[in-house]
Amino acid sequence: MIMIIEVVKIIVLPLIALIIGIFLMGLARMITARIHWRYGPPITQPLIDMVKFFDQRGISHGFIFDFGIILSLAGSIVLVLFIPFCKIAPLSNSGGLLVILYLMLITPLGIALSSGASGNPNASIGISRKFMLALGYEVPFILIILTIMKSYNSLSLIDIVNVQQAGTWSIISSLPLFLTGVAYFLILPAILGVRPFDMTTAPQEISSGPKVEYSGKYLALLSIEHALTLYIGLTLFVNLFLGGSANFILFFIKILIVFIIGLFINAVFPRFRIEQALKYLWGIPTLLALAGLILTMII
Amino acid sequence: MTLQLILLIGFCGAIITYFAGKILPVLREIFAVAISLLLVGMIVYAYGRYSQEIAQFGFLNFKIVFTLNRLSWLFAIIISSLSALSIIFSLSYMKGKERQDFFYMMMLFVSTSMLGIVFSGTFLQLFIFWEIMSWSTFLLISYSKGKAVKAGLKYITMSIIGSMAMLVAVISLYLKFGTLEISVISQNIDIASLRYLSCIFGLLFLGFGVKAAVVPLHTWLPDAHSEAPSPFSAILSGILIKMGIYGFILMMYMVVGIKIFMTLGVGWMKFHYVFAWLGVISILIPSFIAILQNDAKRLLAWSSVGQIGYIIVGISMGTGLGFLGGTFHIFSHAVFKGLLFLTIASVEYRTRTRDLDQLGGLIKKMPITFLGGLIGVMGLIGIPLTNGFISKWLIYKSLFESNRMFLLLFSLIGTWAAILYGYKILHNVFLGQLPEKYRNMKREPVFMQIPIIILSLTVILSGIFPGIILKLINNIAFSFGLESLNVNMWGVVSETGTLNIRNIFFGILAAIALVSIIFYSAKRSWKVSQDDNYAAGAFVPVEKYNYTVEFYAPLYKMIRKYLKDVIDIFYCWIAGLVDALCNGIRKIYTGDIGTYVGYILFFLAFLIIIYLRG
Repeated sequence: MIMIIEVVKIIVLPLIALIIGIFLMGLARMITARIHWRYGPPITQPLIDMVKFFDQRGISHGFIFDFGIILSLAGSIVLVLFIPFCKIAPLSNSGGLLVILYLMLITPLGIALSSGASGNPNASIGISRKFMLALGYEVPFILIILTIMKSYNSLSLIDIVNVQQAGTWSIISSLPLFLTGVAYFLILPAILGVRPFDMTTAPQEISSGPKVEYSGKYLALLSIEHALTLYIGLTLFVNLFLGGSANFILFFIKILIVFIIGLFINAVFPRFRIEQALKYLWGIPTLLALAGLILTMII
Repeated sequence: MTLQLILLIGFCGAIITYFAGKILPVLREIFAVAISLLLVGMIVYAYGRYSQEIAQFGFLNFKIVFTLNRLSWLFAIIISSLSALSIIFSLSYMKGKERQDFFYMMMLFVSTSMLGIVFSGTFLQLFIFWEIMSWSTFLLISYSKGKAVKAGLKYITMSIIGSMAMLVAVISLYLKFGTLEISVISQNIDIASLRYLSCIFGLLFLGFGVKAAVVPLHTWLPDAHSEAPSPFSAILSGILIKMGIYGFILMMYMVVGIKIFMTLGVGWMKFHYVFAWLGVISILIPSFIAILQNDAKRLLAWSSVGQIGYIIVGISMGTGLGFLGGTFHIFSHAVFKGLLFLTIASVEYRTRTRDLDQLGGLIKKMPITFLGGLIGVMGLIGIPLTNGFISKWLIYKSLFESNRMFLLLFSLIGTWAAILYGYKILHNVFLGQLPEKYRNMKREPVFMQIPIIILSLTVILSGIFPGIILKLINNIAFSFGLESLNVNMWGVVSETGTLNIRNIFFGILAAIALVSIIFYSAKRSWKVSQDDNYAAGAFVPVEKYNYTVEFYAPLYKMIRKYLKDVIDIFYCWIAGLVDALCNGIRKIYTGDIGTYVGYILFFLAFLIIIYLRG
């Protein structure tokens, strides 16, 4: 019986993640349009696009072109199973945060392989930017993860959520965690790859970068993967700093609030160049996170 | 008798191989492969037969002892199998090259001398085999003349300095303990003061550190690795630099014992702190230097310095988990770095270049080599389900448990640098557009495919079932008096965080299956050629539609000025000074007989004056 429940959880969780992700994508387009004084598409537009993409015939540049995209989506799906959603995390007890850090690599690597195999320099430029950006945000991100690990003295995300449920949210529990929470919020758009940090997929400069050779089902899988990435970045923040939640509605509201606040900031920013992004990411967020880690070590 | 027999077969086999080549080239190749496989077989046979053999003969009244314990068996099996694979690889790679008899002889010599090191029961043998290894390595590094000789000289100079320090340490140990037997010394280690042991460690750090290429002793490695013949680079990076690590483990865990080691040091500056920080510096800076490289082998060489750092950080923690991680990384690094060097060698064999700016698109021509490279890079980065992930997870966990957060931070950042250079090598060699000149290239020869396939499978299998090797290493740790961990087939079980590869494995497998079903049930896609590409309305410029040069250009601009190898510049400056000094002294010898007669007369006059005064 327990076995069946576990299996059901494993099947349902990615579906929930996908629905939330697609909803957020639609919401983002709507809100951004309103901020820009446009009417904007309906909230279901990403879903309509996805169905349309699946219906079209795409082109392929060989086996790795196909395999990379499969690998990247598979990586996202596995990652969803590791991050607690309303305290449900079927696989979280197999290595903790360190495994999550490494599983987060599979998705970008898959896309990199796939679009690299397309033989289009625009894609290669996009990938090279993606990896540089990743190097940029990973430095503060690792600092943040380490601070959390250190202050709760645990590798397990479930434990961290449980401690917060019993006490207060970690972002308001102490000064170092507040600093790291702010740092995480500052790098969140870079992790999600949205506006100031969308130089990886800049349509005007490099023809949407890695996406340039994708069509049909490839684009569909890529937008599913993007939806999951949104979900992962946000749930990780909610779990690490806003105490997660046992309640579905509350959890969803937390995700929504974080996302919308972020959106308000992002919608009015122009795109950074990659060196500007690196300078920004290695500046204030890194210093805040570093201060957090040092304070945690001392206290 | 087994151990002596193994060494005898190795050394005699090497010489026989040389003379067999004089008779018939095919005979030489058969001999070389047969002997290397025989060594593997004998070491597999020796599994579990841990013993000490006292040789019938002595050397200058010193006892000669051969020992086999779990640690040396682990090293021996890595050494012998990687050498066998790279000798098989050489069958294709060396075809048509000159002085092949010499090459095969030296390959066997190097691997047998390494076996000799791990079987040594006394420091005397250790030193002798160490020297054989150093010199035969030098001959192989400078095999292809020109720049290679310079790289070899750099290597042997640093090596000799290290060996001399080691010799002083060995003599001093003899004077202190009256014996050179490792087991006897380790029993009587209490009679030595901590200060004395610290000095010994300082000296041995030079000796072992040069081989292990720890920063600041790493400067020979990038030159030597990139100039050596490629199959030998695999050995060089896969196992030879691990001999230094073997020396460290031998001293830290076996001779001195980890409890005493953790207290060694000068004042508050404990030796293990220094050691761990050197390890982290070895990870961080070389990994970023590797991103800047354009020569594929040089890139891998810098990456080797970085990966050695992980091992050093792991073993210097002095905990069971750290030892487990560090030693597992010795195995993982040997496998995936050997694999990567062989991959590049096979690319170099077909294209005659390893310049990352000129290659591209080779995935269409060498699919197996690409898969090898992909799996190697995944192991290097530490993607789950490869052995690199297991070792890195264990090392990180041990750093976390020892509360060394900054070491952990820098090691993790090093991993992200590894992604950058790992993808660069994959992209620039295999992905992107295939240049016109390689359109009619043949596939890689079968003798190159075999080692690549075997090593790739090893990376994956030992990443999915880490328990096989973890159990072995756990027993080693237990025999050193470290705490024993709860190891099973799928990972490590502990209260503060369990590693369970089974969940990850089935999770990824199921996810890939699911996505594949969705992917392949959707409408089939058209296969198009690489020239059928989007170029914003313009036609695709053939031969020029590629992005490989300066792959991470904005990042290069930011970091290049900080990443000079200052240590190398410093050593070269010292070498220049010594050179100038010796040149000055050489001026005394003018070559003119008159001057020499003058010197003699002066000297005689000097003696007479002293005599008369006296």
